[in-house]
Amino acid sequence: MKTYILTRVLLAIPMILIILTIVFVILRVLPGNPVLAMVGPKAPPQIVAAMEKEMGLDKPIIVQYGDYLLNIAHGNFGRSTLTSLPVIQELMQKFPATLELTIFAMIVAIFIGIFFGTYAAYYYGRTLDVVARVYSIFVYSFPVFWFGIMLQLIFGVWLHWLPVSGRSSPFMIPPHVYTGLYVIDSILNLDWPVFVDTIRHLILPSVTLGVVISSIFVRMVRSNVILSLSSQYVVASRARGVKEKKVLFSHALKNAMAPILTIMGLEFALLLAGAVLTETTFSWPGIGSYLISRIAYRDFPAIQGAIVFFAFFIAAVSILVDIINAWIDPRVRY
Amino acid sequence: MANTNYDNQMISARIGRGLKDLLGDSSGVMAFVGLILLSLFILIAIFAPLIAPYSPIKPSGAPFLSPQWGHIMGTDNLGYDVFSRFLWGSRTAFVIAVFATLLAAFVGIPAGLFVGYAGGTVDRIVTMIMDSIYTFPGLILAIAIVAMLGPGVVDISLAIAVVYIPTYYRVIRSQVSTIKSELYVEGARSIGAKNMTIISKYILPNVLPSTIVVLSMNIADAIMTEAGLSFLGLGMVPPTPDWGYDLANGQRFLLQNDWWMVFFPGLAIILIVLGFSMFAEGLDEYFNPNIGEKR
Repeated sequence: MKTYILTRVLLAIPMILIILTIVFVILRVLPGNPVLAMVGPKAPPQIVAAMEKEMGLDKPIIVQYGDYLLNIAHGNFGRSTLTSLPVIQELMQKFPATLELTIFAMIVAIFIGIFFGTYAAYYYGRTLDVVARVYSIFVYSFPVFWFGIMLQLIFGVWLHWLPVSGRSSPFMIPPHVYTGLYVIDSILNLDWPVFVDTIRHLILPSVTLGVVISSIFVRMVRSNVILSLSSQYVVASRARGVKEKKVLFSHALKNAMAPILTIMGLEFALLLAGAVLTETTFSWPGIGSYLISRIAYRDFPAIQGAIVFFAFFIAAVSILVDIINAWIDPRVRY
Repeated sequence: MANTNYDNQMISARIGRGLKDLLGDSSGVMAFVGLILLSLFILIAIFAPLIAPYSPIKPSGAPFLSPQWGHIMGTDNLGYDVFSRFLWGSRTAFVIAVFATLLAAFVGIPAGLFVGYAGGTVDRIVTMIMDSIYTFPGLILAIAIVAMLGPGVVDISLAIAVVYIPTYYRVIRSQVSTIKSELYVEGARSIGAKNMTIISKYILPNVLPSTIVVLSMNIADAIMTEAGLSFLGLGMVPPTPDWGYDLANGQRFLLQNDWWMVFFPGLAIILIVLGFSMFAEGLDEYFNPNIGEKR
């Protein structure tokens, strides 16, 4: 197991290096001078030169590349040109919001996937199955932000049930922040009103994102359960008189669960892209909103930091998923 | 081969597979419906100036009119006719998506052909690079590129194109690496055909059908990505009619309950994406008739 984890981590290094290189090429080599973009075209040349020197842009490109990689390796993402704060500090402050949103979206997607998929398989070829299949087609064609706006319209504007933006109401943040995940913090603080407020804010964004990525789960669970329903162990347990519900959920579904973890890993990139759009739609203060808002200010260290951060996040999740997979299923080994 | 070979990250590929699942053998119907939807949007894009009742970039009435006679989709905050922008928006979507798709194809297809044919170390390195880009969320990559290049048809198309190069590369490369060990390729080589001849006369014709399928799937995804970029404020500069921008603009007035400003642009995106996906899936069925994927 140890060797497996080590190999898996080592294998991720070239991938991260390639992504870092591409980000570097995009942000430094493509036309467009970041300094000019920040100070404006009319700035005196001395100031431009001084700023270029400060940001290390006067050095040869290959030296810049080396500095860039070294800095990232040291966790130094530079300082934001807007707030002068270290970018890594700002990112760490925004990260829990993104993490909370993606975790809950994943929960929504898996929940829909398991229930809808299992029942669709059970009623194979009947109405519920057709509904599940139509669902997975349409949900894919929804632009995530459009779906989010529609939910805001229905549940926020028409029904007034749920808040449509932000992570919490004013003054409703957990008094002691332990993890930055408000759901967990409010439980740790035993603060019931804050917990309710947090959940109320979380519902629409996570349902939006969860529903849009749920269709792959519905499809996968459905086709796997169909397969295992026709297997011998299901026939055997039915013959022994095991209740249908138990056959379905503890025999058929359990054996169909294995691929779900793999899909979770594969879906993660799609989930993150969706998270950027969802965060913007719901003014959710995560890394996606941070990235988009800093583009307007031409805050290049922040833009670069956010994108590099996403790259590490994806790599970390894919390593984690593979390790869990190997831990659950001993057949998975290099 | 067929579908399993296409990009799983592509939304249109997934829609297509779902449709095939739903309709089974009647996928001819699907291709037909897709074709109709597509032709409709292409006609709309071409004849927008003739069909649109008003200019999309000039106020045509009072602001915030709800859907009514004369403004069937209402008007927005500036009094622009939503229906006219709905029609004109298809032009923006098509121009950028088609341009981006062709750009991506022009890089991705030759790369897949030559690298796949060459094999060896070059193949391993290029494939690793392409796979790395592929695993990174396309939208975020496009955001980074647009952030540097700025808005504009060419810049946005370029950003979207970069995202989809690996898609073509992967599809073509994997097919080339199977085809190149076929008997007829070996035969050609044994009678002394040059590498270029083999690629252009024996391999290219065999990968062309799937290229066409990927092209039409790619256009659907490019439309989605473009809408996402302009929703984020990184797309075309207003007042250019653009569905993603209109959605973001409409959302600002959501609390006034002006649902028509956000509903219709989204509907346009959904219909056009469905149209392309259905069409692509139908094409796939047509080119690869023997592949019955049981799911």
